[in-house]
Amino acid sequence: MLPTYLTLMLLFPLLGGLTFAVAGRMLPRTLVEVLACATVWGSFVCAALAAAAYTGPQVVTLADWFATFDLAIPISLYLDPLSLAMTVMIGFVCGLIHIYSVFYMREDEDYARYFALLNLFVFAMLTLVLGETLPLLYLGWEGVGFCSYLLIGFWYSDPANADAGRKAFIATRIGDVALMIALAWLFQLFGTLSITKVNGMGFLMPVSVITMLGILFLIAAMGKSAQVPLMVWLPDAMAGPTPVSAMIHAATMVTAGVYLLARLLPLIGGSEIALAAIAITGGVTAFYGATCALAQRDLKRVLAYSTISQIGYMMLGVGAGAVTAATFHLLVHAFFKALLFLGAGCVIAAMHHEQDIYKMGGLRRSLPLTFWSFLVGAACLAGIPLTGGFFSKDSILLAVWLKGGVLYQTLYLLGLITALITAYYSFRLVFLVFAGENGHVHRSSGLTVMQVVLIPLAILGLFGGLLDLPAYLGGGYLSGFFASLPADDLPSASHEQEIGLQTVAGALALVGLLTAYLRYGKGRAERMREAQAQPSSLISFLAQGWYFDRLYDLVLIRPYHALARFLWQRVDEAVIDASVDGLGSGVGGAGRLFGRWSTGKVAVYLISFAAGAALILGYLAWLAL
Amino acid sequence: MSVPLSHVLIVASLMFAMGLGCVIAWRANVIMMLIGIEIMLNAVMLTFVGGSAHWGIADGQLFSLMLMALTSAEVSLALAMVVYLHRRKQTVNTDDFNSMKG
Amino acid sequence: MEATLFYILAAVLLIGILLAITARQAVRSIVYLVTSFFALALMFYLLGAPLIAAFEVIIYAGAIMVLFLFVIMMLELESPEKLAKPNFKNWLPALLLAGAVVGALVVLLASRVQAVPPGFTEIPVRQFAFALFKQYGVAVEVVSMQLLFALVGALYLGRRR
Repeated sequence: MLPTYLTLMLLFPLLGGLTFAVAGRMLPRTLVEVLACATVWGSFVCAALAAAAYTGPQVVTLADWFATFDLAIPISLYLDPLSLAMTVMIGFVCGLIHIYSVFYMREDEDYARYFALLNLFVFAMLTLVLGETLPLLYLGWEGVGFCSYLLIGFWYSDPANADAGRKAFIATRIGDVALMIALAWLFQLFGTLSITKVNGMGFLMPVSVITMLGILFLIAAMGKSAQVPLMVWLPDAMAGPTPVSAMIHAATMVTAGVYLLARLLPLIGGSEIALAAIAITGGVTAFYGATCALAQRDLKRVLAYSTISQIGYMMLGVGAGAVTAATFHLLVHAFFKALLFLGAGCVIAAMHHEQDIYKMGGLRRSLPLTFWSFLVGAACLAGIPLTGGFFSKDSILLAVWLKGGVLYQTLYLLGLITALITAYYSFRLVFLVFAGENGHVHRSSGLTVMQVVLIPLAILGLFGGLLDLPAYLGGGYLSGFFASLPADDLPSASHEQEIGLQTVAGALALVGLLTAYLRYGKGRAERMREAQAQPSSLISFLAQGWYFDRLYDLVLIRPYHALARFLWQRVDEAVIDASVDGLGSGVGGAGRLFGRWSTGKVAVYLISFAAGAALILGYLAWLAL
Repeated sequence: MSVPLSHVLIVASLMFAMGLGCVIAWRANVIMMLIGIEIMLNAVMLTFVGGSAHWGIADGQLFSLMLMALTSAEVSLALAMVVYLHRRKQTVNTDDFNSMKG
Repeated sequence: MEATLFYILAAVLLIGILLAITARQAVRSIVYLVTSFFALALMFYLLGAPLIAAFEVIIYAGAIMVLFLFVIMMLELESPEKLAKPNFKNWLPALLLAGAVVGALVVLLASRVQAVPPGFTEIPVRQFAFALFKQYGVAVEVVSMQLLFALVGALYLGRRR
C-alpha cells in the first residue's frame, strides 16, 4: 500500500498544478479553489496513511528515469522518519495555507496562476523531501526555487516585486551551482547518486574530501535557507502575497537546506570541520537575523528576519549533529511561523494593506482571535517556557552545549543571547501591533475564515513540545521515532543538566518579554514619538540588514556592471563588431567596385574580352620568345 | 603552289586583328560591329582552309562550311535583333542598350 | 605564278578590309567587303578548296552582305546624323589591342618555323563529300536544326506588334 500512498501524494498536487496551469482560466473560480485545496489535503491524507502504514525505512522505486552507461537514476522515493515527518508537516501546513489563500486572494483576478504555482510548489517540495536519489532531490530543489521565484514576483506589474523575485532566484542560484558541483563530484567519487548508498560510503573517502563536499552542501543550503552570507534575498521575498511568504518563505522551502544537510549528515558528519562550518554559519545567522529583526518597521520583514534567525538555529543543531533536535525545531517552527505569517496576513488585510507596525495598534480588541493566535506564535518564537518553541529551541541549545569544546560553547552563548533578543523583538511586535488604542479595522468577508485557520496552527505550536518532551518528563515521541536514524548518537544529558539549561533559557526569554513590555507596553507613546524622528545610525544599520545589500552592491554588482560595460563597449562593439562590420563593408565595397564594371554596355565587355585575349596571347608569345 | 602556311596564317591574323579593331572601335554602330565579327569569322575560315590544304585533310574545309552555315544563322538573327532594337529605341548605338546593367 | 597571284590577292583582301572598317558610310563598307570576299574566295580556290570558294561567293558575298545592305537601307542608316563616327578616342584601344594580338600571333608563328617544304594537296570534292556526310552527318543535322531555329527566331523578332 505504501507505494500507492506515495505516488498519490505526489500525483495529486502535480495534476492539480498542471490542470490549473493549462485550463485554469476556463474553469470557474470556485472549482479551482476547491480543487486546489482538495489536491493538497489529498496529499496530506496520503501522508497520514503512509505514516500509519509505516514500519521502517523503506525505498520505493516507481520507475526508471535515467539508465545510461553507469549512471542509473530511478525515480525512487525514500521513506524514513525524517521524510515522513516532513511530508506530514508539509501536507498539513500547505493544506491550511491553501484554504487561507482562497480567502486572502479573493479579490485577485489571477487565481488560476496562483493556485497552479502553489500546487506545483507542493509537488516540488514533496519530491525534494521524498527523493531517494540526489538528482530527484535536485529536481524538487529547483522546482521549489522556480515556483518561489514566480510567486515572489506574483504581482509582477510592480517592478520592485519582479526585482525581488529575480534577486531571490539569483541568490539561491549560487547555492544551486554548489549543489550541482557536489552532485557531479559525488557521482565521480562513488558512482552512484542514491542518498542511502552515498550515506553509507562516506567512510571510504579521506576526511578532506568529505569536508569539501560538506562545504559545498553547506553553500547550497545557505542559498536555499537564506543563511549568511546568501540571506539577502529572503527579506525582499516578502514582496509576494502573504500566504506565499507563510508557506514558502517561512514554513517549507527555506527549511530545505536544513533538510538537505540533515539528510546527508551521515556523510558529512565524517568531517568535524564541515560540521563546525555548519554550526558557525547557523549561529552567526541566528544572531544576525535576530539583531536585524530588532529594528524593522515592516511587519513582514520582522517575520522574515526571524525566519532567517530560526533557520540559523536549525543549522546550528545540524552542525552539532543533532538531527532530531533540528527536525523538531523545523516542525514546530513551521507551525508557529506559518501561524505568525497568517496572523500577519489577517492584520494586513484588516489594515488596508498597511505593513508599518508603528501605524498599527489596539488590534487585540478588534481582532481577538488573531491576537490570541499571534500571541501564541510570538510566545513560541520567543521560547516562553512550556510552549513548543521553548522545547525545540532548548533541545538544540542542549545539543550544542553537550557537544562541548570552546567553539560550541561560544556558539551556545551566542544562541542564548539570540534567544534573549528573539524574545524581545517578538513581544515588541506583539505590543506594537496589538496593544494601545486606535483599533479601527476593515472587516472583509473572508477575515473570519482566515482567522479560524489560525486555530489549529496555534494549538500545534502551543503543544508542539509534546512531540518531543525532554527526558526528565518521560522522553519524547520524536526521539524514539528518530532513534532509527543513524548518526544521532549524541551523549545524553543528565536530567539536572537539562533542567538547568532550560531554566536559564526560560529565564532569558522572560527577561526579553519583560523588557519588551517595559519599552513597548508601558513606554509605547515614547517609542511612537521616537519612530517619527530620524533613526540613529545603529538602528538604521540593523534595519538595513547590516548593510549587506550595499556591501554586495559595492563588492559584486558594481564591478560586474563595470566589467559588463567594458566588455560590451570596448570588446564587443569596438573589436568584434567593428571587425565583422569592416569585413562586411570591405567585401561590399569590392563588390560595388567590380559591379561598376558590368555597365551593361557591349563595348565595355568587348574591350575587356579583347584585353583578356591579348593578355593570354601575349603571355604565350612571351613564353615562346 | 608554293606559299608557306605561315604566310597564310599571317594574312589570317591581320584580318582577324582588323575585324577585332572594327568591333571595338565602332561601338556607336551595331551594324559595323556585326561586320567586324564577319571579318573575324572569315579570318578563321582562311585559317581552316589553309590548314586543310597543308595537311591534305578535308576536315578544315568542312569546318569552314559549318562556320558559313552558322554565320548565316547568326547574321539573320542578329540583324533581326537590330531591326527590333532600332524599332524600340530609334538608334543603333550600343551604348544606349544597357538594360543588362548589373 | 600562283604564289604571286596569292600575294596580290592577299594585298587586295587586306586593303579592302581596311577600307571597309574605316569607311564613312555603312553601304560603302559593305561594297569594300564584298570585294575583299571575292579576293578571299579566289585565295580559297588557290588553296585547293574550290567548293568553299564557291560557297564564299554565294553565301557571303551574295547572301549575307545583301542582307546587311537590306537592313542598312531599311533602317535608313545612311543619314549622317544617325551615325556617330568613331573618333581617335575610340580607335586607340582598338589599335592597341589589335596590335597586341597581331604582334603576339606573329611572334608565335615565327617561333614555329615550318621545316616542311610548302606544298598544298588538292582535296577532291568526293573526299570532301564523304567526310561531310559520313563522318560528320550528325553535325550536318545539328546545323540544319540551328538554321531552322534562326529562321523561327528571326520571324519572331521581326513581326509587327
